Amino acid sequence: MNHFTRGFLTFTATLLATAALLPVATRAQNATKDNTPSASAKSDQWIHIRVESKDDKGETVRVNVPVELAVKILPCINKENLHAGKVHIDDAHFRDDVDFRAVLDAVRTSKDGEFVTVESHEDNVRVAKNNGFLYIHVTENPHSKHSADKDGKSSKFNDDESRVEVKVPMKVVDALFSGSKDELDVVAALHALSTFGDTELVSVKEKDQTVRIWIDSKNVTD
Amino acid sequence: MILLAKIASTAACTVALATVYTFHEGVIKVDVDESRPGGEHIHFFVPATAVNAGMHLAPRHHIQQAAEKVGPYMPLIRQLAKELPKYPNAVFVDVTDEGQHVRVATINGRIQIDVTAPEQNVHVTVPVAVIRDVADNLESAQPGV
Repeated sequence: MNHFTRGFLTFTATLLATAALLPVATRAQNATKDNTPSASAKSDQWIHIRVESKDDKGETVRVNVPVELAVKILPCINKENLHAGKVHIDDAHFRDDVDFRAVLDAVRTSKDGEFVTVESHEDNVRVAKNNGFLYIHVTENPHSKHSADKDGKSSKFNDDESRVEVKVPMKVVDALFSGSKDELDVVAALHALSTFGDTELVSVKEKDQTVRIWIDSKNVTD
Repeated sequence: MILLAKIASTAACTVALATVYTFHEGVIKVDVDESRPGGEHIHFFVPATAVNAGMHLAPRHHIQQAAEKVGPYMPLIRQLAKELPKYPNAVFVDVTDEGQHVRVATINGRIQIDVTAPEQNVHVTVPVAVIRDVADNLESAQPGV
């Protein structure tokens, strides 16, 4: 075997080895690349939405969206009232009749406590501020419901009360109203939301379905 | 004989390198099974690089037509193509309703869409890089570019 042949065989062997190892190197490189964004993704906050129906259909909807992804995607959506991450309010009453910023300033600067409590035959409404969070609780009074039985006589029935519980950080509310008078800055609100840890935002419990919206650092559904 | 061995080894190297390049972006996999009698059963996979190559080979006016239709959504597609690689393993949407199940997730850097229904099952797996390649090609094919 002369030098030329030996050299050629060595070159060929090297090329074959490179071809065999390249997919492994690529996967390793991708794994390394994946680790870095995964590591950063792990520290991302995720918005989770869970809707569960308790009727026969048993419908379940689970949506998980990283806050960072939502912040970057929303400005790209221009549909109806949503433009550049802001929702435009058409309602003149909302724009002109109520100075929401003044109301928010008053709420923000006031001490923690209940601001609105409404108890009626049909439902109870409570709006309060505590520890930097705005709480809105609505409870539908179960004893207000009546239904007709087969004989047509009205009778009370035991219905599970419907409850809506909303807990929003005040900083998020401020960010939401930080835009112009007739806009809600959703992107700014999401930015503010991402600074908070695990927080339950909305909980709706009705007879036949439950809705939960919360934020945490997990990227999996439970 | 030695010459034949050299030619064979060179050819083998070339094929190996070509295979590595062809599959380096992953594979697009499509599985469709219809449960009805005589239903379709479609199963195929293609290298993701074939999408890029196909778009270069397709008639330009077809690509331009597609680019015009997709135009308003290009910023959204671009941003998705840029952001999705940061979430290689995540479940974004999971809906279950009356025997039907829809799931949109990323698994190992590939977008996986699974639709399971009594009448049919559809499973599509697409590497995230394909979205970026398609967006690049459509953007370059837009009129005026």
